[in-house]
Amino acid sequence: MSSVAAAPSARSGVPSFLTWRALTILVTASAVLGPLSLIFYQSFLTAPFFDPTKTVGIGAYQFIFADSDFWHALKNSVLIAAGMTVIAVPLGSLLAFVMERTDLPGKRWFEPLILVPSFVSPMVLSFGFVVAAGPVGFYTVWSQDLFGIAPWGINSLLAMTVIAGLTHVPNVYVYASAALKSLGSDVEEAARSAGASPFRVAISVSLPLIMPSMLFAAVLVFFLGFELFGLPLVLGDPEGILVLSTYLYKLTNKLGTPSYHLMAAVAICIVAITFPLVLLQRKLLQGARKYATIKGKAGRMKELPLGKWTWLALALLVFYLFVTVIVPVSGITLRAFVTNWGFGVNLFDAFTLDSFRAVFEETTHKRAIINTILIGTVGGALTVACYTAIGFATHRRDDGWSRFVDYLVLVPRAVPGLLAGLAFLWVFLFFPPLTPLRTTIFSMWIAYTVVWLAYGMRLISSSLMQVSPELEEAARSVGAGRGTISRQITLPLIRPGLIGSWLLVFMIFEREYSTGVYLLAPGTEVIGAQLVSLWQGGAIDIVAALSLINIVLVGIGLAIALRLGVKLRD
Amino acid sequence: MKTWLKTAIGALALVPAAAIAQVPAGYPADYAQTIAAAKKEGKVVIYSALDTKAASPLIKDFSALYPDVKVEYNDMNSTELYNRFIAEVASGQGSADVMWSSAMDLQVKLVDDGQALAYKSPEVAKLPGWSVYKNQAYGTTYEPAVFIYNKRLVSADEVPADHAAFAKLINTKVDKFKGKVTTYDIEKSGVGFMFVVQDTKYFPAMKDIEKGFGATSYRVYSSTGNMLEKVSSGEHLLGYNVLGSYALVRAKKDPNLGVQLPKDYTLVLSRVMFIGKSAKNPNAAKLWVDYILSQRGQKLIGSDVELFSIRDDVDAEYTAAKLNKQMGGTVKPIPVSAEITQMLDSKKRLEFLGAWKAAVAAGGAK
Repeated sequence: MSSVAAAPSARSGVPSFLTWRALTILVTASAVLGPLSLIFYQSFLTAPFFDPTKTVGIGAYQFIFADSDFWHALKNSVLIAAGMTVIAVPLGSLLAFVMERTDLPGKRWFEPLILVPSFVSPMVLSFGFVVAAGPVGFYTVWSQDLFGIAPWGINSLLAMTVIAGLTHVPNVYVYASAALKSLGSDVEEAARSAGASPFRVAISVSLPLIMPSMLFAAVLVFFLGFELFGLPLVLGDPEGILVLSTYLYKLTNKLGTPSYHLMAAVAICIVAITFPLVLLQRKLLQGARKYATIKGKAGRMKELPLGKWTWLALALLVFYLFVTVIVPVSGITLRAFVTNWGFGVNLFDAFTLDSFRAVFEETTHKRAIINTILIGTVGGALTVACYTAIGFATHRRDDGWSRFVDYLVLVPRAVPGLLAGLAFLWVFLFFPPLTPLRTTIFSMWIAYTVVWLAYGMRLISSSLMQVSPELEEAARSVGAGRGTISRQITLPLIRPGLIGSWLLVFMIFEREYSTGVYLLAPGTEVIGAQLVSLWQGGAIDIVAALSLINIVLVGIGLAIALRLGVKLRD
Repeated sequence: MKTWLKTAIGALALVPAAAIAQVPAGYPADYAQTIAAAKKEGKVVIYSALDTKAASPLIKDFSALYPDVKVEYNDMNSTELYNRFIAEVASGQGSADVMWSSAMDLQVKLVDDGQALAYKSPEVAKLPGWSVYKNQAYGTTYEPAVFIYNKRLVSADEVPADHAAFAKLINTKVDKFKGKVTTYDIEKSGVGFMFVVQDTKYFPAMKDIEKGFGATSYRVYSSTGNMLEKVSSGEHLLGYNVLGSYALVRAKKDPNLGVQLPKDYTLVLSRVMFIGKSAKNPNAAKLWVDYILSQRGQKLIGSDVELFSIRDDVDAEYTAAKLNKQMGGTVKPIPVSAEITQMLDSKKRLEFLGAWKAAVAAGGAK
C-alpha cells in the first residue's frame, strides 16, 4: 500500500489520481477486512473481546462441534440449499425460455412480476406465508370452508425448501434470460421445423446452450441457501427446525449471557462454506461470459410460436406468481386490517385501522419508516457514489491492486448479514473515531454499503464496461490525465447506468433486514430489522402494518424503475 | 397586547407545575437537592424491556411531575438490553441511567458484577422484603405466569386448573393437542428459562409436563406476544407459562382468549430496576426509580400499565394484594436475590437444557 500512497502527486496541487486510488482502496479494504478480522479474532476467545476475563483458545469451536444442534442446523442448511437449487434452477430457466424465446402474450407485464419476490424482504414474504397459508391462514381457512381440506403445511423442512426454492426463481431467471438473449434463434428454428415441441426445444436445444449460466445460477442459489435467515426464523423456529443462521441467532441467549465467541465461531464456519462458493461463482461467471461471447452471433431474433402450449406456459407462470407473490402479499394486506383472525372469525367484523394508527403514534416506528426511506434514497445515492469511486479505482487497470479489489469486494458477500451487523456494532462501539455515529442511521448505512458491495460493484462495472475504450484513449491523446478522463468522459457516459444502479440499490436497501438486527438502536431503526425484533416480541399487528408499508416502498421504487426503463438486472 | 397576555397566562400556568416538583411527602428534606440536580441534568436515559407504548402512561405522568427532566425511553428485548449495557459500559461511552428488565437474573448479575449504583430509595419501607436487593435493585411489578387457552376450541371442562391437570391433559389427549401446545423457547427467552427452573422447585412432576410437550410436539416462541396471537387464532390451543400481565390485557379485548391462573401455585415475576453505576444522570435516575416505586407510580402500574402493583397500599385493578387474596397464598414471587443467578453458570444451564431436551425427546418417542 505504502508504495502506491507515496506516488508523486500531480503538479496542479489537487491530489493526483493515484493518491485517490490508493485512498479508495485503503478505505474499502479497512471497511471490509476490519469487521471480518474482528469476527475471526472473537471466535478464538472465551468471552466477549471487551471482557477483561477473556482468554485465547479454541473452546468456542470445541463447543459448537460438540453441540448436536450445530450438526442438525448444518444438515438442514445443506438440505434446504440443495433442495431449493433443484427447484429454482429448472423453473427459473424454463420461465426464462418462455419469456425470452416464445410468443407468450402479455410478456411485458409478466417480467417485472416474476422479479418481485427478489425485491420483497424475505421476512415480509415469510410472514405473509404464515398469515396466508399457515395452519389458520386466510387461504387455509377458506380452503377448509370450501373443500373441507387444505392439503398443505408451511412449517416443515420440505415446505421451507419449496418456498425458498420458489422465491429464488428470479435469481436463476435473470442469468438464464440474459444468456438466452445472446443466443441466435436459428438453432431453435431448425429444431422446430424438424417437428420438436416448444418444450422439447427448450430442454434439448436452448437450455443446454446456456448451461454455463445455469451452472452459475445453481451455485448462486445453493450459496444463498446458506444465508437464509428470515424464512427459517419465521417458519422453522417454532418447530425447532434450525439452520446455521438461526442457530447462530439462538446462541445470543442460549447460555443466558452473550456468547459472542460461539456466534463468531459459527460465523467463521459459515464463511468457510460460503467463501469457496463465492470464488467458484466468480470462476463460473468468467467462464460463462467467455462462452456467451463465442456463441454471440448477431442472429435475427425470432419468437417461437407456442401454439397449444400457450395455456400450459401461462398456467405455469400464473401458478408461480400466485404462490410467490399473490398469496403472501394478499395475506399481509388482509392481516394489517384485522384485529384477530383464524377459525370462526368474521373478517368484516374484525376490520380495523388500529395497526396503522399504532405505527404512526409511536416515534420508533415513524423513525423506522423515515430512516428506511432515507437509507434507500439519500443513502442509496451515496452508496452508488462510493461504488463508483471503487469502480474507477480499478477501471482499465489490470494490475495487482485491481485484482486485490476484485477479490476484496467479494468477501462481504460470504459473511452472513446478521453477523456483519454485529461486527459493525463492535466497530462503532470500540473504534473511537466512529463512536459518535453509532446511534445514527449512518452506522446502518455503512454496514449496508459494505454488505452489498459485491452486488453493487457488479452493477457499476457492467456500466463501466459499456464505455468503449476509444473514447477514453481519445481524451488521453489530447493530454487529459486519468482524473480528468474519469470525471469528464467516463462519468457522464455512465450516468444512466448509475441512475439505474441507484434504483436497484434503493430496492435492495428497503428489503434488507438481517444486517440491521444487532445495529438496531434508538435512532437507527429501519423497517427490516424492526420487523425481526417486533416478530420476536410478538407484536404481530405492527409487523403486518410495517410489512405492508415496506411492500409499498419497494413498489414505488419498482414503479419508478419501470417507468424509467431501468433494466431490473445487471 | 395579545402576545403579552399569552405570555402572562403561560407564566401562570407554569406555577402549579413548579409547585408539584417539590419534595414528596415523607421523603428526607435533602431530596430537594436531588430534584435540583436532576433538573440540571435535564434528562434520564432508560433501557427497558417493557415496550414504549405500554410504558407511556408512566412517562407522561413522570413528565408532568418533573417537567424539567426529559425521559429518553428505549425499549428492547431483555437479552439485547443486557448485551448493549455491558458493551457500552466496556467501551467507556456510558450507557443507560436506569436499567429496567424482566430478565431478573441478568439484572441481579449486573448488580453482583458491580454495575449498579447503591441507592436506598425512600420508598423502601413500603416494599416487600424479597423485592429489594442490596439497596441497589428493586422489583417493580407483580406479574403472574399463567396458562392460556383458545375459548372456542378448548371446552370448559378441559381447561387445566393446576400444573398436574396440565400435565395430565397434554399426556392423555395427545391427538387433540398435537402441535397445539406452546410455551417459551427456553433457549431463547431468559424469562421462559427462569420460569421453568422455578417450576422444578415447586412442581415435583415437572418431568410429566416436559414429556407431554414432547408427546404433543410442542411449539416454542421467544415471546408472549407470539403465543397469545397463535392461541387466539386457534393455530395453537394451549399456552404454558405465559406472562399473565399481557395475557389478561389481551383477553379483555379478545373473545377467543382464555386465561387460567394455576391453582396449586402461581409464579410471579417482578421487573427489576436499578441505576447504572456510571450513569450520566444519576439524580434524574433516582427521581425515576423513586417515582416508579411510589404510590403514584404504582397506582398507574396497577391500572393503565396493567402490570400489577407490587405495593400493598395501592388500590387499583391489578395489584399484588388482590392477586394474593384471589389465589389464597399460593402465589410464589421469584425473589430478587443471588439465588436466581445460579443458573447463569453456563455449565449448569447447559445441563438443565440438556435434561429438558432429553425429557421432551423421551415424551416424543412414546
